[in-house]
Amino acid sequence: MPEVRRVFRCTVPNENIRQVFLVDGILQEEENERNGIVLQRGTNQMGLKLHISGDHSQEPIQVISVRNEDLPRPLEFSNRWELAPGAVAQIIVCDHTMQEYLYKTFRYSQIKVGDGAHLDILFMQNEHHRSNYRLDIDAQLNELSGLDCHILSLYGGVIQNTLHVNMQRPGAVCNLDGLYLADGEQEVLYDITVRHDSPGCDSRQLFKGILDNHARASFDGTIHVAPGAQKTEAYQANHNLLLTHDARITTKPQLEIYADDVKCSHGATIGRLDELELFYLRSRGIPLAEARMLQQMAFVQDVLDRVRNDAIRSRLERMVESRLRGEFTKCSHCTMHCC
Amino acid sequence: MLSIKDLYVKIGDKEILSGVNLEVKPGEIHAIMGPNGSGKSTLAAVLAGRETFTVTQGSAVFMGKDLFELAPEERARMGLFLGFQYPVEIPGLTNVNFMKAAVNEQRKYQDLPLLTSGEFLKLMREKMAIVKMDPSFVGRGVNVGFSGGEKKRNEIFQMAMLEPKLAFLDETDSGLDVDALRVVARGVNKLKTKENAFVVITHYQRLLDYIVPDMVHVLYKGRIVKTAGKELALEVETKGYDHIIN
Repeated sequence: MPEVRRVFRCTVPNENIRQVFLVDGILQEEENERNGIVLQRGTNQMGLKLHISGDHSQEPIQVISVRNEDLPRPLEFSNRWELAPGAVAQIIVCDHTMQEYLYKTFRYSQIKVGDGAHLDILFMQNEHHRSNYRLDIDAQLNELSGLDCHILSLYGGVIQNTLHVNMQRPGAVCNLDGLYLADGEQEVLYDITVRHDSPGCDSRQLFKGILDNHARASFDGTIHVAPGAQKTEAYQANHNLLLTHDARITTKPQLEIYADDVKCSHGATIGRLDELELFYLRSRGIPLAEARMLQQMAFVQDVLDRVRNDAIRSRLERMVESRLRGEFTKCSHCTMHCC
Repeated sequence: MLSIKDLYVKIGDKEILSGVNLEVKPGEIHAIMGPNGSGKSTLAAVLAGRETFTVTQGSAVFMGKDLFELAPEERARMGLFLGFQYPVEIPGLTNVNFMKAAVNEQRKYQDLPLLTSGEFLKLMREKMAIVKMDPSFVGRGVNVGFSGGEKKRNEIFQMAMLEPKLAFLDETDSGLDVDALRVVARGVNKLKTKENAFVVITHYQRLLDYIVPDMVHVLYKGRIVKTAGKELALEVETKGYDHIIN
């Protein structure tokens, strides 16, 4: 679909990046196999299946998935990300809407990380204030495998993220993080379950949200440590900043532990911008609005720091900043507001 | 430069300042001393624009403008600086981004072109040298994990970056060892010109060995009860406040 390619001129700053397009769930290229990467259509010709072997840490894959229909109907499709044992991959999934229709999209994401493999996957959720977006991630981690999963929710009417991570074999490591920025009447819902079914696995979760105007969010997070999953380390943190009295967050962190030799913790906070910090910044000549912006950027910085690729991280920082400033999150060389 | 007349300030129902008068002219260094709770920090904070205080009476005119009509950032951009007694930690905001925002705002206000990244870093290195800041300081979070001495040096560094016309230094010496005290004092002396002025708030005469004031005021129960030359600081040190107050 040349039109979409033309609109999305953006490239994440890496000349080795490979771009894959999905328009209304349909893969825009023929099934193919290149350098150990097998790209296929998913179930019912919708969505995609990526099977990756070998080390592709220097060649990120960007999947640009847009809704573009004129008569939008609810759409449901499934993407599969499979890493063969020992494979390394970096994937960026950018979800957008081309038009401001009432799109309703349900995306399944099945992740399978083979023994000793490592997947770094970033989901950019950048639709519009009337879209209904649902992402279900189901991840299975095998022995000594690693998963870094970042979710950046910038725009969307209702964004619903469900994550199920299953640490089914020993020695797996999983870092989950997310940032949600909501204003107006937007709503962000998180439901996370991390299951430690095997011993010696680590999981670290860091989710932060900034809610403005009448925005609503809820965060349900459960860490489940199965009997016998000794030497588990599992942490979960959910921190929220409410900018107005009308913004609402419900946060419910939960631990279910059935093993005795584990290190687990969870924590949740809800707060407002610190008055003394604000005064300190203003006393140096920084105007109120700018000072509040710096405070919000400071609040989210540790989530952004978990994105290890410098070029991608600095691009995300700029996007988050322009989002917080209320500007369109556009890159200078792209006509769409995407990454 | 600064003219405070008959200033009354409350926090909640409690009166903290009860008729303060103070005149500061360019080129002067003033010291304000006084026992705990006498209102020294309140005076500095209310002038900088801290909103927890209510001005019930009196005026403060700085560079011809009524300070209490202005937002904290407007006061700062006109050249008023407050060195905090307890500098605030801001995790996630680096010193370099903090100062870049502050310096750019000031340059906008002065109708000067914004500095390029290169120019800015050069300026930052120059000013860091004045207070002997370690180069790693640039990328660290504002005051996060700083020792007491580092925090106070950071205040002087920020002052050096912003080159204010009038700086209030609120107990910049408290919690400092002699070496850190010298570094801070050297910073102040280096920045002092005929055009700018300093008001140093301190408990101890010690700092005034290094920063020599033209005038010393003793603040007690919200009023300046005595004003004299630098010898007053020595008198406080040897005889205590009770002697002066009575």
